[in-house]
Amino acid sequence: MTCPFLDYRDSAGDRTFDTARAYCTAAERFVQPMRADVCNDRYDLDHASDCEIFLAHEDELDEAEIGSEVPTEGPDA
Amino acid sequence: MTYDDFLAGDPLIITAALTGGVHGKEANPNLPETPAEIGRAAAAAEDAGAAVVHLHARRPNGERSFATERFQEIDDAVRRHADDVIVQHSTGGTGAPAEKRHLPLRTDPAPEMASLDMGPLNRYDHLTSENTRGMVDALHAEMVERGIKPELEVFNDGHLNEVHGLLERRELADPVYATLIFGGGTLTPPRPRNLRNAVDNLPEGALFNTLGFGRHQLPFATMGILFGGHVRVGLEDNVYYRQGELAESNAQLVERVVRVAEELGREVASPSQARDILGL
Ligand code: SF4
Repeated sequence: MTCPFLDYRDSAGDRTFDTARAYCTAAERFVQPMRADVCNDRYDLDHASDCEIFLAHEDELDEAEIGSEVPTEGPDA
Repeated sequence: MTYDDFLAGDPLIITAALTGGVHGKEANPNLPETPAEIGRAAAAAEDAGAAVVHLHARRPNGERSFATERFQEIDDAVRRHADDVIVQHSTGGTGAPAEKRHLPLRTDPAPEMASLDMGPLNRYDHLTSENTRGMVDALHAEMVERGIKPELEVFNDGHLNEVHGLLERRELADPVYATLIFGGGTLTPPRPRNLRNAVDNLPEGALFNTLGFGRHQLPFATMGILFGGHVRVGLEDNVYYRQGELAESNAQLVERVVRVAEELGREVASPSQARDILGL
């Protein structure tokens, strides 16, 4: 399951990208590529324990959002 | 290596760390991410004076990839655009399983060099890149099998003990080549005396490469040049040219350190000279 705060966007504010990138709706900024592996729960990573931003914003989620899933690009590329 | 090596005028190997795997275009839009961008950046860095390019692979959206196929695409692009630059793959990968960390070693041909992280490194608040001795030994064994020269990444002084330990456990081809890394967090604090101390604690005959993160890149490169070492610059380690001004390219950072070396009277090594120095 991916982080419910994760979104893929090709623009936000004055930033635009050719390809949609990981965007954190809790921190309201694009995510570093290494952290995006945490957002996507890749390998043994888990956003619920490994991301301090998630832990700081967890109480803003309602129950439905905690169970939601964001489509990603697959396991590896 | 010492100040005497500087006085003797030994050529300086410049490594350009072109892309990395931590930040991407969200930090600096000039950072190359696709194979074509990395290939062109490698050629420009080589033209500017880099003998080695340190490479990571990314997915089309900039996220990390460890896939051999993706490294192959990048190497093919580098060889298409650049003349003779030495290719060095990263085997780093916070949070990635051990088997993924081996995949960058399996391109055809194999990279001439690959990084070997010498121990643990904290990332963010809840992650650690573990780099256990078992993992280091397994990566080193595959490098030996494939004829790849390891670049030992020393993130802090404890990792100097790990370099000595690795030499006790395994046979390393001469010369041992270690990158001394300075910055915040788990890294050695960026103080000149700490560079001097790290150099003094390297194994006899080892060569060193100097890496300062962020605003420490240029001062530590300059000290590395003066202490007879080699240097690494590039957008992986520092996205700024100066405070508040993003770097335009990797080549711009290479050009600057070439100017410093020239002013200090140190010849810059071509890829072929670097191969001789490193015993490739
Ligand atoms: S894992 Fe962290 S950075 Fe990623 S979307 Fe969730 S809260 Fe944001």
